[in-house]
Amino acid sequence: MAEAGVVVGEAKTPSDFLKSIRGKPVIVKLNSGVDYRGILACLDGYMNIAMEQTEEYVNGQLKNKYGDAFIRGNNVLYISTVRQQ
Amino acid sequence: MLFYSYFKTLVGKEVTVELKNDLAITGILHSVDQYLNIKLTNTHVQNETKYPHMMSVRNCFIRGSVVRYVLLPAGSVDVELLHDATRREARAAP
Amino acid sequence: MGEEEATVKEPLDLIKLSLDERIYVKCRGERELRGRLHAYDQHLNMILGEVEETVTTVEIDDETYEEIIKTQKRSIPFLFVRGDSVILISPPLRS
Repeated sequence: MAEAGVVVGEAKTPSDFLKSIRGKPVIVKLNSGVDYRGILACLDGYMNIAMEQTEEYVNGQLKNKYGDAFIRGNNVLYISTVRQQ
Repeated sequence: MLFYSYFKTLVGKEVTVELKNDLAITGILHSVDQYLNIKLTNTHVQNETKYPHMMSVRNCFIRGSVVRYVLLPAGSVDVELLHDATRREARAAP
Repeated sequence: MGEEEATVKEPLDLIKLSLDERIYVKCRGERELRGRLHAYDQHLNMILGEVEETVTTVEIDDETYEEIIKTQKRSIPFLFVRGDSVILISPPLRS
């Protein structure tokens, strides 16, 4: 169960997980169902997220690309690591 | 506090407040509080035929949380002042 | 505090670097804004200038049941946007 890039056994709490995935490729799912795939630059306690090379997927279809993107934390359903970009 | 202070400078000016239910109310900004609740006077709504119940409304209190946009009078936006205030606020906040 | 600007240590730094730049804002209710960022706070309340708003609506054709996607645009000189409507903000590409 080696989630790509995350050293299993080190990440214990949710906040350890969040700290461990900076700079990693992630999928962020919003409450609306929209997915964002990109490199996680950083995040804060509100789950506000800064991402790079972000691709927006609506119903699984690529709809947009952003060089940098800020996502307001209240919209975030989950953040997931991903094997490859 | 930045936007509270800014809106206080707009008191007496005409603004259009667009609500999250799409109702747009134009009026004179009477007052604002820290939650960005807004009181308007001399109000009229855009598209009055769609909202006939608003026809006789001349004053209103708008809860801040239902606001989507406020359309600002162009003449009362000093962008340099806003930039400076924003940088100051960004430094002060967490 | 000397070194400001420069790096993105927290997400809001991305917004700080976009002050006085044109940004793209994706809002709730299928609304998109493009405009110059003049002010913001930690809630993402913002004042934008030279704004173009695009509202996308989907209608279903009565007969064919096909989705008809319509976009309406309008220009607004100066606009205050309440932060709780904001979903995503993208600064211009930094080169």
